[in-house]
Amino acid sequence: MKCRVCRGPAVIDIRRHNAGFCRDHFLVHCQEQVRRAIHDHRMVEPSDRIVVAVSGGKDSLALWDLLVGLEYEVDGLYLGLGIGGYSDESVRFVRDYAGARGLKLHEVDLQDDLGFTVPVAAEVTRRAPCGACGLSKRHVFNSFARDHGYDVVATGHNLDDEAAVLLGNVLRWETGYLGRQHPVLPAAPGFARKVKPLVRLGEREMAAYCVLQGIDYQVEECPMAEGNRHLGYKDVLNALEDRSPGSKASFLFGFLERAQPQFATVAVEERDDLGACSECGSPTTGDVCAFCRLRARASGISIDEAR
Amino acid sequence: MKILLRNPRRELEISGSCTVATLLQRLDLNPESVLVIVGDELVTRDARLDDTADVEIRPVISGGARP
Repeated sequence: MKCRVCRGPAVIDIRRHNAGFCRDHFLVHCQEQVRRAIHDHRMVEPSDRIVVAVSGGKDSLALWDLLVGLEYEVDGLYLGLGIGGYSDESVRFVRDYAGARGLKLHEVDLQDDLGFTVPVAAEVTRRAPCGACGLSKRHVFNSFARDHGYDVVATGHNLDDEAAVLLGNVLRWETGYLGRQHPVLPAAPGFARKVKPLVRLGEREMAAYCVLQGIDYQVEECPMAEGNRHLGYKDVLNALEDRSPGSKASFLFGFLERAQPQFATVAVEERDDLGACSECGSPTTGDVCAFCRLRARASGISIDEAR
Repeated sequence: MKILLRNPRRELEISGSCTVATLLQRLDLNPESVLVIVGDELVTRDARLDDTADVEIRPVISGGARP
């Protein structure tokens, strides 16, 4: 297979583009896709301070690398989840990446800073660990950005992630979630702007980007993710993609162009109903936000003591 | 050829030469969900793998919680 641009030997084929790329032109392709996503969705203004949520996985480290390559000033934020050796190894990848490039990395640790870990939260609540993990990430990334003067939180959600989430939301007709599913969630009282600059790039492209750029990342799957619903959705979508390349992109981008605006008013109404959490000030529908309730249960202390 | 698979990590030996596409088919792996690395090099699905190749088949699907 030859590179679509220079006709040299290709190192990766991307069937939805019906194209192969050599190393150099693949890296240009990734950068162009991120540049286009940022431009088309007006993700970032020139004066914005950006913090990228990094986990040690391929997507978030590739995103940090791509944003720095596009000359954005962007710092990293790592959240320690307390998942034993998996978390110990993941943070090493993040520190090594940031240290080698002289980039600023912030770290928050669920156990040290907030008094619980994801495994304990899952055990106490008797719910899937991914729920406690996602809730903690959303809360910490948003509150950290708000408290430290960052305008934008960038996350490594890629095309596959977004297509899988969309499939899940459609299967259950989650109209509020469908209204909020967009590459940009604008800033609102209590919320930093959230952007997903990798939305035009697939998961396979992100892994290839890291391999080709020499970025070491956590290859192993999180030990707590077994049975995760989104992994099943990704299998289904990849089976479709194998038979009909481009299916995932048409599903997601068709939704964003033609269907998402139909649901956006539901999301705006839900957001307008939010008040401030009496504990942490974060937006919530109740008196105390879901994260503060989780933290109180998982750390075994009362809401008042958690303050 | 020696094949390294991940999640869980395990090794296989397969004899003979074949293309990447054929190898993935034999292992019942969806080409959309993996990268194939020979030595330190990424290879495309039409690449031919010789009998002595050291091949890593790296999954690219990650799940779990997203912020």
